[in-house]
Amino acid sequence: MTVKPSAVPHHKRKTLLPYLLILPTFVFVALFTAWPTLLAIYESFFRQRLNIARFREPTFIGLQNYATLFTDDRFHQVVNNTLIYALGTVPISIVLGFLFALLVNRSLKGIGWARLAFFHPALLPMVSAATVWKFFFTPDYGLFNSTIRFLGYHGAENWTGNPSLALLAIMIVAMWKNAGYYMLFYLAGLQNLPTDVYEAAALDGANGWQTLWRITFPLLRRTTVFISTIAFIDAFRTVDHIFVLTSGGPSRASTVLLYYLWQLRFENQDIGLSAALTVLFVAVLLIFTITNFVLSERAEEG
Amino acid sequence: MKSKRIVPLLLSLVLLLALAACGQKTAPATEAPAAQPTKAEAAAPTEAPTEAPTVAPTEPPAPAAEPVTIQVYYPVAVDAPIADILQGYADKFHEENPNITVEPVFSGGYGDVQTAIQTIIDGGGEPPAVAVMLATSLYDLVNADAIAPLDDYINAMDDGKAYMDDFVPAFLENSRYDGKTWSIPFQRSAVVMYYNKDMFKEAGLDAPTSWETWAEAGQQLTVKNGDTTNWGIQYPSGWPYWLFQPLAIGNGQNIFTDDCHVAFNDPKVVEAVQFYIDLSHKYGAMPEGVQSVWPSAPTDFASGATAMIVHSSGSLNGILKQATFDVGVMPLPGKADGTFASVPGGGNFYILKGAPKEKQDAAWKFIEFITQPEYVADYSINTGYIPNRQSAFDTDAMKAYLEKTPQMMDAFNALQYAGAEFSIQDLGEVRNIFHDYLQKAYNDEMSAQDAMDAAQKDAEAALKPFCE
Repeated sequence: MTVKPSAVPHHKRKTLLPYLLILPTFVFVALFTAWPTLLAIYESFFRQRLNIARFREPTFIGLQNYATLFTDDRFHQVVNNTLIYALGTVPISIVLGFLFALLVNRSLKGIGWARLAFFHPALLPMVSAATVWKFFFTPDYGLFNSTIRFLGYHGAENWTGNPSLALLAIMIVAMWKNAGYYMLFYLAGLQNLPTDVYEAAALDGANGWQTLWRITFPLLRRTTVFISTIAFIDAFRTVDHIFVLTSGGPSRASTVLLYYLWQLRFENQDIGLSAALTVLFVAVLLIFTITNFVLSERAEEG
Repeated sequence: MKSKRIVPLLLSLVLLLALAACGQKTAPATEAPAAQPTKAEAAAPTEAPTEAPTVAPTEPPAPAAEPVTIQVYYPVAVDAPIADILQGYADKFHEENPNITVEPVFSGGYGDVQTAIQTIIDGGGEPPAVAVMLATSLYDLVNADAIAPLDDYINAMDDGKAYMDDFVPAFLENSRYDGKTWSIPFQRSAVVMYYNKDMFKEAGLDAPTSWETWAEAGQQLTVKNGDTTNWGIQYPSGWPYWLFQPLAIGNGQNIFTDDCHVAFNDPKVVEAVQFYIDLSHKYGAMPEGVQSVWPSAPTDFASGATAMIVHSSGSLNGILKQATFDVGVMPLPGKADGTFASVPGGGNFYILKGAPKEKQDAAWKFIEFITQPEYVADYSINTGYIPNRQSAFDTDAMKAYLEKTPQMMDAFNALQYAGAEFSIQDLGEVRNIFHDYLQKAYNDEMSAQDAMDAAQKDAEAALKPFCE
């Protein structure tokens, strides 16, 4: 998957061409990523509320926005929800994606249909998917309730209205949607694995479990690092289904960081506070991505 | 080396672009305080008389006027071909006013329209001349200096007072602020109760006239079928303030008193919260807890799976299309016998201040055009929205429609019991506070009294910077 530096044709005299090639990306990243981030850092030190006439002009207030956030019970609850959401959906959808990939990585008749079935949720726009799930989650007779009732469960049924189930409901939708997407990467990884190691393992008498755990999984480690990075970022950045399914409720039980950010910015029209939240948000994602990358590089060397 | 020089060059280019963007962004913000609404308004009338005569003679040769293209941002919030209907109106308008082209722009839901416009204004761009946004967004839009008052236009009409007086009063509740008119009603609805007249007849029940008779009817019409239940009442509460309001109004106290004061913990409002809870806990007439059944309730009702639903009048056409029984539409019963309640909802036309004057003028012409009785009637018939002007009921089309669909008249009549829809300073934040605690009460996480006390306290704190 990775291109080694030596693979790049080496010219003694550096030319303009490489810079021209990265120019479009550079401009876009600078304009749409770097600049807004810097702007958010700057704005986070000011009080500015667009829906209060006398606070429409920014006033410097130092770190007060951060202090407000950290002492806000709602913020604590939202961080909590986000952690549960991310730590719950990311590993489970990755494991599911891996299992799906193993399942469909065979040359059986009709396996194309199975691949399609696992992958199709990834193709649906999240809003459409969530609208369908809203009907699945209908209390009483909804498809989801009918199914789990058929499986023998006779418990709580009000998935999107019950404060202890609402977050789980949106997590279920996210996992259903993402697992097939991650399957695609694992499938690509599986099909690129060298066959000789498997032959060697077979000769040494390794059983299926050993082959899977000692050979397949380690060989796919780079894929796993990649998937876990995008999955983690996805978990923070997908909120469409929350708008459709729960509006963050009941009583904020399914409000995650990005949804809260939207509320602060567009409902409360609080520029300063939403900028501060953006900064924290970006910081967490950066720390995770860098840690993930460094750890995987270290493992590569070791 | 060439390559070394190109990097700083690029960097400075990017910085320049960014600065340019930044400059645009701050420009309108610094102008804003200068354009104090009150001052601008005071200046306008003195200018108007001197300007009017000089402008008038140049106007008659209409084709000579510069052609103008305006955009109308609109949401789609009901199951109707809004896009086609609006495009049709825009085309007809263009026939009558060849120098004005109107482009309707579909922008998502109500929230999306407002977000799009805020984003354009924040970015220093030119907003569309006119947009359909929630009537309740009034204060946020005025405070953000995003919209223009419409009084000059109304006063310049042949009979502006008659024009305004013809609108259904309940729909104008959230159009006026600070002595000015800021929006014109467009696609308006109301909270009503749909009830299955056949089921009521079979059970020997009359349409409810009080909380008690309503709850008892719900109880009587609830039927258990093994694992599932055909509930007497379905009352959505996934995004609850709007549907809740008629309960409070029906007990004689709306949830707010003016743009700075909420009445969340007024004993009558607390009693209304308790009544919602009682409908499930005490009477067993509906499921317990928060009900996220907004999209499924009309279908359940139309298929006969539930006897009564509290919903938007906008669902009327869809329900009538599916239902095979006699559909009744009425306001929600109030607490005392013989009292009723409702609350209006929906979107109004706003003219955006950031659009150039000639586009604002064209926008007003379009608003005048589309609020003619024939168009109001046509829009109502094709969408299920309640006609927003009384004169629309005198049109032949509306008379013929009401002949077939008397329920539309019932929905309209519900408005006479309506209180104002919740509209307040800092609406988004205060509404979220109310939702949080109302749902805590619905879900038994707090008692109705504790929840409303907490909501009152948090809302007062949130409103402080707006109202002190």
